[in-house]
Amino acid sequence: MKDEFVLSKTNLPYWLRQLRKKADLIGPLRSLNGDIIFSSIVNIHEMILDCPASIPSPKEFLFPQKEEMYKFSQKGVNTLNDNGKRIIFGVRSCDISAIALLDRFYGGLLEDDFYMSRRRNTCFISIACNNPDPTCFCSGLGTGPALKTGFDLQFTDLGDRYLVQAGSREGLRMINGFMHLFLLPEKADRDDQYEVLLSSQSIFEKRITLENVRQKILAGKVPDSFWESVASRCFECGGCVYECPLCTCFNVIDWKEKDNKGTRMRLWDTCMFKGFTKMAGNVLPAGKKIMRTKRWYFHKLLYYPEQFGRFGCVGCGRCTITCPGRIDIATIANKLD
Amino acid sequence: MKNKNKKGLYLPVDAKINDVIDLTPDVKLYKLRKPQSFFYSPGQFVMASIWGAGEVPISITSTSEIHQDIELCIRKAGFVTSALHRLNPGDSIGIRGPLGNRFPFEDAYGKDVLFIAGGIGIAPLRSLINLVIEKRKNFGKIALIYGSKTPTEVLFMPETQNWKENGIDLTLTIDVECKEWECSFGLVTEHINRQSISFESGYAFICGPHVMINAAMHDLSLLGMPAENIITTIEAHMKCGVGKCGHCYSDGRYVCTDGPVFSYAEIREFGMASP
Ligand SMILES: Cc1cc2nc3c(=O)[nH]c(=O)nc-3n(C[C@H](O)[C@H](O)[C@H](O)COP(=O)(O)OP(=O)(O)OC[C@H]3O[C@@H](n4cnc5c(N)ncnc54)[C@H](O)[C@@H]3O)c2cc1C
Ligand code: SF4
Ligand code: SF4
Ligand code: FES
Repeated sequence: MKDEFVLSKTNLPYWLRQLRKKADLIGPLRSLNGDIIFSSIVNIHEMILDCPASIPSPKEFLFPQKEEMYKFSQKGVNTLNDNGKRIIFGVRSCDISAIALLDRFYGGLLEDDFYMSRRRNTCFISIACNNPDPTCFCSGLGTGPALKTGFDLQFTDLGDRYLVQAGSREGLRMINGFMHLFLLPEKADRDDQYEVLLSSQSIFEKRITLENVRQKILAGKVPDSFWESVASRCFECGGCVYECPLCTCFNVIDWKEKDNKGTRMRLWDTCMFKGFTKMAGNVLPAGKKIMRTKRWYFHKLLYYPEQFGRFGCVGCGRCTITCPGRIDIATIANKLD
Repeated sequence: MKNKNKKGLYLPVDAKINDVIDLTPDVKLYKLRKPQSFFYSPGQFVMASIWGAGEVPISITSTSEIHQDIELCIRKAGFVTSALHRLNPGDSIGIRGPLGNRFPFEDAYGKDVLFIAGGIGIAPLRSLINLVIEKRKNFGKIALIYGSKTPTEVLFMPETQNWKENGIDLTLTIDVECKEWECSFGLVTEHINRQSISFESGYAFICGPHVMINAAMHDLSLLGMPAENIITTIEAHMKCGVGKCGHCYSDGRYVCTDGPVFSYAEIREFGMASP
């Protein structure tokens, strides 16, 4: 079975409309305030495929900002697993790389059934980035601008057509019924793809090697006074955590309506908040801001590599866009490298 | 620690309350009917849940080899624990678990053992103390220093006398002197160097408030006990108990899945946050 195809741009809307019959089609749209958001697509032509990074990242379709987990009442408890079928089109390579890591975090021996039921029903169609943002630095991390694995389908924009690569059985399934829309790639298509990716590589403004930073921290060359100065600029807004495609912390709350009816739900939470670790009797293990800043950085730069063999950062640049204190990972890495 | 609850990682199972015993004005002992295939070891905990109130981590204080029921010793400390305190026999508590790692008590076979408990810290240790008594011949000398603030706050008083009869060198102490108390006075740490166990080869299991744990670990270390032999449990804010919510995360470790039991050596190596 071949796993590379060519799709003419004129055929894209028709094909997506066919896919949409079996699943909710989600793609990048421009919101009223100008941000790029992923949302259900009503008019396919309104999708913005050559766009800057979405805010927030598409992690919200697997780990929503607010997720209802259980409904409880006198009669009993219902688990609210979301089994809705979704196809998310136009996802960036860095976000696909993040999802591959989220799969490992939520999977494994202690599998998170809420994440997994969404994950199993979601297909990701990524687009290799021809035109990385000034804030992007995936190329140094191997998490973009194009990928070898992790996607169901990967599109590369070749001008009037896309080169389409299938990375999973689900990916192939999306093409199978519509073979008449696709061609097999020829040498010219591959040459064009090579060239597009090459020129994309040269657009990156940021050259960041997190490995150097990791080595410096491990060697004890980053004094606490440095982290103190970083922490002093943190507004504790939590933006970095909310926008990061790899941050996973949540809080669980019970919402009671009346009698004994209600909902147990989880909400995004952030380790940058002071109360995050608060215990009974007002004991605060990470009471000082420097402890929380260091924890975020060390988790991403030291402990992710230890646990998963990858950094807890895919270079999407969202914290650079978001952080009002300019203490995002790219800025800090640049200072330390 | 495999996820045996096929229905979902976060779904508690109902455990019926067989009995509730008032231990002190703000601590109650709950005896719960054990759900099927619930196998636990000393040191492990459950997430105890009431729909509409929430979920909190609570150590299992019973010993599976001895007790029919799962026993939880709960101090009224805030919102959820107060809701738990309103429950009566016949009601149910949702539980998820057993969660976390356990005390590595086999390492202490053939060695002396010192237990140090402060306040509600006796709850997780009780599970191990009763097991150690059950396996008495596997261990050398056994001693327990158990400190409380006041005489009325001493938990499991009758049981401590039972432990004494079973050959545990018992030091019951309260923080400040008062008339109606016949045992010792002072902080638990003031009694450590009086113990007749071998500090160089023995093991210590410590549970209690952070300050007490830190002081005790430090003192034992000075008395020559290897850091690997000093075992404690770390308390942390927990929301999920299964390594996902991030609340208990500290220096690369999740207290809920990598712990709550850690050795002093581990705590020092990872610089685990202790307030
Ligand atoms: C591994 C472990 C074992 C424990 N075993 C016992 C036990 O056997 N008996 C006992 O009485 N208590 C035990 N605790 C402490 C108990 O979990 C807290 O007293 C309880 O969570 C307080 O919740 P609350 O809603 O009543 O208090 P609130 O102050 O209203 O708490 C609000 C929220 O903060 C969190 N929280 C607050 N304090 C703590 C805390 N100390 N530890 C963890 N999370 C906290 C909880 O998520 C809680 O829902 C244990 C804690 C841990 C981590
Ligand atoms: S740390 Fe910043 S740049 Fe890295 S993945 Fe998270 S949001 Fe993106
Ligand atoms: S975005 Fe910046 S200011 Fe806001 S919490 Fe994160 S580091 Fe602090
Ligand atoms: S309690 Fe949620 S990660 Fe440990």
